[in-house]
Amino acid sequence: MDQQFRNIEVPAEWDRKGLPGWCYHSPALLDLEKEALFKTHWQIACHVSDVPEVGSYHTFDLCGERGIILRDTYNAVRAFHNICRHRGSRVVADERGQCRNALVCPFHGWVYNLDGTLRGAAKPNSFPPLDKKEFGLKPLECEVWNGFVFVRFSDGPQPSVAKLMSPFSEEAAAYRMDKKIPVDQIWTEETPVNWKSVRDVDNEGYHVAMAHPALQDLYGSTYFDEPYVNGVSRSFAEFHRAGGRRWAVRNYTKFSKPQNDLPEHLHQAWVYYGIFPNAVIAMTPETAIFYQEFPISTNRTLLRSGTYRNHDEDRQQRAARYLANRIDRETVEEDIQLTIWSNESMEATSFEGFYLSDLEYGVRTHHDHLREVLPVYNVDVAPGEDKVEVLNKKLGQSAQ
Amino acid sequence: MNDSETCKFFDIETQRAMLALKIGIPGSGYDRYAAAMFLYACGELSHEMLEIYRRCCKFDFEDPHALARHEGLLVD
Repeated sequence: MDQQFRNIEVPAEWDRKGLPGWCYHSPALLDLEKEALFKTHWQIACHVSDVPEVGSYHTFDLCGERGIILRDTYNAVRAFHNICRHRGSRVVADERGQCRNALVCPFHGWVYNLDGTLRGAAKPNSFPPLDKKEFGLKPLECEVWNGFVFVRFSDGPQPSVAKLMSPFSEEAAAYRMDKKIPVDQIWTEETPVNWKSVRDVDNEGYHVAMAHPALQDLYGSTYFDEPYVNGVSRSFAEFHRAGGRRWAVRNYTKFSKPQNDLPEHLHQAWVYYGIFPNAVIAMTPETAIFYQEFPISTNRTLLRSGTYRNHDEDRQQRAARYLANRIDRETVEEDIQLTIWSNESMEATSFEGFYLSDLEYGVRTHHDHLREVLPVYNVDVAPGEDKVEVLNKKLGQSAQ
Repeated sequence: MNDSETCKFFDIETQRAMLALKIGIPGSGYDRYAAAMFLYACGELSHEMLEIYRRCCKFDFEDPHALARHEGLLVD
């Protein structure tokens, strides 16, 4: 892995504060976050194997925007805004599916070819002639990286996904993630916290020994985090063969076996790539997983995740994957509780904010990335809700 | 792309086969209507019949020909 351009050292002196509490419950800030973070940064919509055949589609909604990922007639993966050019209805209402011929808007019946061009408007003789491209589905910026389909709803500050993820390109390619297939449908769950509380917990491993007995048993002694640098972070841990005091861990370490494609140093590794602002791709010998979180409101967040397995999985790998999933499921439930405790502190008047350990430097670097996009995070005392946007603009101008 | 380009671009036989998909196949209502839209653009289908296919498209078990006969657009 090429890490020559990434300084991942924790500085001797650094500001150990987190974001001010008001940032976790301000509707005005959330509006800015939706526009400046979620719509303008790459988001994982699905995996190429979620749209396996010509005509397969998968939808992806984010902060009021609607996307559709589609396998076209030439077997290429394309992305469009899931918005009919007639009245704006969803052209595809289901989360996933398969169309043999073309997309039909369920509202009035406009028909679109799989390349997005308009095949025809319903009752065509009620319209003047329509240009098939001009009235076609609007393309959505899309890039496939190691099998994961990224989309971006608006132009943003990030480079291409390939460039963004380039520090990990060699390591990631070894996992042949593009060849994997879905274990199940994409999983979602709502949780009653601000989205940043989810990310704050996920961005550090300091809590693992205390909160995640199974993970600690699996790889606790080897785990380490690399902070966010240029929009990406990495965490790494290795388990030991025939280790583990807990049933699932002990049997996982017994059944997990070296994968032919992986170099030796990854045979027993669990690796996580953090992608600013809200996503992680995690690899084990048996699976590739993505997980992410999206704001619904200041205190509700949608957790979303997909798991992909080796297409030629044998019984032993399947058993190992089942056991890894047990460990992960337990960890997710434990994390959800931690995010609730962390989030509720943000409304307590006596809480003076985070004081972070060196082992939580990833939290700080994530916050620094946030501050770079929205300088209003630097304001310690809650501004009036009607002043957040203006203040953010003013701080941005004075920083230039 | 205009209508005549559409006709050149796609395989007309495939669309004729789509139009004749067996009634009841899941998704076949939309497939028949999408094919009807193509064949209309190629001048092979009237706008009245295209509308019949539109009305049937959400119901995979609805036979467009039966509806067309009921409406007097087709005779046995």
